[in-house]
Order: sequence, then structure tokens, then C-alpha cells
Amino acid sequence: MIWAKEETLPRNEIEDIQLERLKETLKRIYDKVPAYREKMDKAGVKCEDVKTLNDISKLPFTIKQDMRDTYPYGMFTVEKKDLVRIHASSGTTGKPTVVGYTKNDMDIWTECVTRIACMGGACDEDVAQISFGYGMFTGALGLHYGLENMGASVIPASSGNTQKQIMYMQDFGATLLVATPSYALHMGEVAKEMGLDPAKDLQIKIGLFGGEGMTEPMREEMYKLWGSQLKATQNYGMSELIGPGVSGECLELCGMHINEDHFIAEIINPDTGEVLGPGERGELVVSCISKEALPLIRYRTGDITRLFYEPCKCGRTTVRMENISGRSDDMLIIRGVNVFPSQIEEVLLKVEEIGPHYEILIDRKNYLDYMEIKVELADERLLDSYASLGELEKRIKLSLRTVLGLDAVIKLVAPRSLQRFEGKARRVTDLRKNK
Amino acid sequence: MIQQLSIFIQDEIGSIAGVTAILKQSNINLRAISSFDTPNFSILRIVVDQPEKAKELLIANGFAVTMSEAIAVELDDEPGVLHDMLEIIANAGLGLNYIYSIVYRNGKVPLLILNTDNLQLTIKVLKEKGYLVADQEDVVL
Repeated sequence: MIWAKEETLPRNEIEDIQLERLKETLKRIYDKVPAYREKMDKAGVKCEDVKTLNDISKLPFTIKQDMRDTYPYGMFTVEKKDLVRIHASSGTTGKPTVVGYTKNDMDIWTECVTRIACMGGACDEDVAQISFGYGMFTGALGLHYGLENMGASVIPASSGNTQKQIMYMQDFGATLLVATPSYALHMGEVAKEMGLDPAKDLQIKIGLFGGEGMTEPMREEMYKLWGSQLKATQNYGMSELIGPGVSGECLELCGMHINEDHFIAEIINPDTGEVLGPGERGELVVSCISKEALPLIRYRTGDITRLFYEPCKCGRTTVRMENISGRSDDMLIIRGVNVFPSQIEEVLLKVEEIGPHYEILIDRKNYLDYMEIKVELADERLLDSYASLGELEKRIKLSLRTVLGLDAVIKLVAPRSLQRFEGKARRVTDLRKNK
Repeated sequence: MIQQLSIFIQDEIGSIAGVTAILKQSNINLRAISSFDTPNFSILRIVVDQPEKAKELLIANGFAVTMSEAIAVELDDEPGVLHDMLEIIANAGLGLNYIYSIVYRNGKVPLLILNTDNLQLTIKVLKEKGYLVADQEDVVL
């Protein structure tokens, strides 16, 4: 089933809507957001210069740093009193990236998520268990509203306490699971440990996965654990753009359909900023063309992908983006949380008892991401007792949790035992690739 | 009081041998050694005949080392002797942080090395009860 007629419009009609909405949004941003107005003036671009959709390439990019520089509301185009919801994601200096929604934005967000749930096979008869963490992150509440809008019964289980989650799933007859792919795999394992066969004893037949990419080996694992009857799709979004709801896979599994009446997608060469053609691999850049509170123009997502414009077998005509194949920067996604190594570095450098060198190891254990950070002990006075060394480990762990919202395993190592680099340091080892 | 060295040891094969190799090279005599199994790292505590020199050499070789004081008490090699001493410390309200020993002293009685929250007070109560508290010279053979 296809939720909205906008998903099947001929290309020229989609593009007409996009151009009209882009022009309106751009005018509003130019009036209300000094930071972007300055960028446009500096680039010598006026709103009137955007006459065709291709003219979007004349506009300056928006980057995450712009949101930090104008923290918290500087990129917003509406008054604070017009906001009905605020979300945030973790930030480098302890300050998060703040996003906001007007009443109308909430309707758009809900609509976009409903479309994606529909693409993934959901319907109003589904009992949907949402196992994303509820809170400041957009994932859980985004899916929550979208699925309710569809008429599904929502179980706001949140993440963690996995055994109880399995009990809800079994007792309430959940048919649809919303989770990060790694948590869904972990849940399947836990169900098995509890003596259940997820394919037979549980009724999950739809998995809407997001928050992190799902590789094809992970999807295969998903079928093995949850049964071949599972419709396992993934969807894509980020809080800066709207949250979940930017794009999602249909059951043909040939890319994620972008909600193009609300977003314009481009692919650029991350080094030069040059726009690349259909099918070419590069960084995804997205413009929000219908939102009121925070309509970012040409936002650099940092995600590397390709776009395909041919109509899909499912009947949708919207552009499809391939599974994310990497990042143009060094951002890591750990348990669905975005983490920059620079954030970790900043925390570590503030701890006087350890040296400036560190190593980050990321791996997956029992399908869950696991981060270990090795740091060198620098203050030998702590060697007086195990308690003070233990206290140091605990303090580093707590500071990281405050900034990242994530737990890491801290490993103290001897001074000068970590590798030194002459050129660009390679401090991150990610062993999760293709697991 | 005596001088002990505390050395940060990683959970790796050969890490303590890395320390003893340096001591051997410089002909430093190890009189007592203590370490416990912990998951990631360990504090290796040693008593040597030349603590200053050992510390310098270990630091020069990249080890995190700290030198601190500990109490060494002479105890006869008889049943119940250790208990009597520990009871005195406990009765004085002093907490014991760790304890290890120098057994071989070329004909002299063994030394028990210990650390409490208050070293001076510990020495005082032990001396009052007639215990012999050793100095750094006493650990050299």
C-alpha cells in the first residue's frame, strides 16, 4: 500500500512542488536567519537567483557547526512561542544540537513517518513495539506519532530491560518492532536464551529499523533469528532534518524512498562541493522545503550514498537512496548515537591524570556495539592504591556518559605504551564492518 | 620506615618480567614483591636494596612508578605472632591497606611490610607493645 499520492507523482510534478516550496522557504530563511543571510550575501546569491531546481547548487551549504555557532535557536525561523516540541542530540562541547517543531511541523513529521511505516508493510492492524530510547532523541517519538497516525497500536517500550521487552512482545501480541538493527538482533538472541523461538513463539512480522545503518549481513542475521517471514526494512533520517521520516525502504528493498515533497536531495563531492549526477557516489545533502521552525538549506549530512531516480516496482516515483556506505567525516554511530572522536578527545584532555594519547576500539558483542577506550596513566601518585585508579576510571566513564550519552569501557594502560603517530593519527579501530 | 616502589603493570604476558629485567641488568636486589590479579591492570609493589636508583631506571624505561613509605615489622616465625600484631593495629582503630613480607633475611627474623591510613600512629602503637620496626638499611642484606 502507498500512503500518499505525493509518492507517485510524475517527476515533473514532484519537481514543480519542490521548486515552489524551495523558493518560499528560502525567502523566509533569508529574512529570519542572520547566519544564513550572511552566507548568501557573502556568496553573492539572492533569493531571486533560484529560478530552476538546478539553481539550488548556487546556494551555500549549512553544516552542523552552524547550529553550534547559533546555539540554541539561531537557525530557527519562528518565535519560541510557536514551537510545540524541542529535541536535541549530543554535542561536542557538552552543548547539544537543538531542533524544534511547530504544530504544522509535527503534522509533516507524522505524515512522513506514516508513509515510511506504510512502505515497510505496516498497517492499522499492527501492534507496534517501539524499542528506541524515548527522550531527547527524535527516533522513538517520531515513530510513535507516525504509527499512531496510521492507526497501529503503539507499545512505547523504550530501550533496555530486554527480557521484559520480550514479555511485552509475547503477551501483548506485538507484530511490528521498531529498533536499531543491532538491538533487534540482540532482542532475538535474548528471546532464544529465554527458551523462545522468535519466529514461532513471537508474532513479529515487520521490523522497521533505523538509527544506524543495516548492512546486508545484518539483514540476513535478522531473517535467521526472527524467521524468513519477517519484513525487515530500514529507514533514514536525522534530527537536524526532521528526525526519522526522511526516507525509508519499501518491500522491494532497492533503496530508501525520499519524501521529496518535503526534502530535496543532492549528492556532492565532499571535497569540492560539486554536485554529482544520478548514480554517482558522494555525500548526501538535504534541503528541508516544507518545515517552519528549522528548515535547513543544503544541509551536509556527512553520509555517503547514491541516488536513483528510476521509478520503483512498488509504484513510487520518488528518488531512492542507497544504503549508507560510509561517512565523509569521522563520525561514528554507536548504539544509534552519533559520536565524533573529537568529542571523546575533548573529555579525555580535561582529565589531568591521563596523557593526551588514546585509542578507541569499537566492536560488536552479542549484536550490541561496544566501545573501549585506552588511556595512558600519567599521574603516578595514583599508584598508591587501587581505589584511586578505580576512581579515575569511573570519573572518565561518567564524563563520557554525560557528553555522549553512552557508556564506554575505560582501560588504563602504562605511560608511552600507546602508538604514536607522525602524520594523521589513527586512533579509532572499528571492527564492526560487515558484521 | 622503608621505601617501596609501586609500578603500574598492564595485563599482558611478560609485563612483570619487564620490570625484573631492568633490576637484574643493574644488579638491584629485590627483597619483596607483591601483586594481585585484577582484570586490566595491576599495581606491582616491590622493596629493593636501592630504591632511588630502581625508580630512576624504571621511569627511564617508560614505567609509571611511585615511591612511598611503608612499615616493616620484625616478627618471629611462630604461630599466632601475626595475629597478635594485627589485633593491636585493629584495636587502635587503624585500617590495614595491604600487607606482604620479606621472609628470607640471612638468619634474621622475617619482616612484615604493611600500610595503613596512618603510618606514624601505627609505628607508635607497635613500638609501645615492643615490636621492632625496621628501617631501609634493615632490608639490605
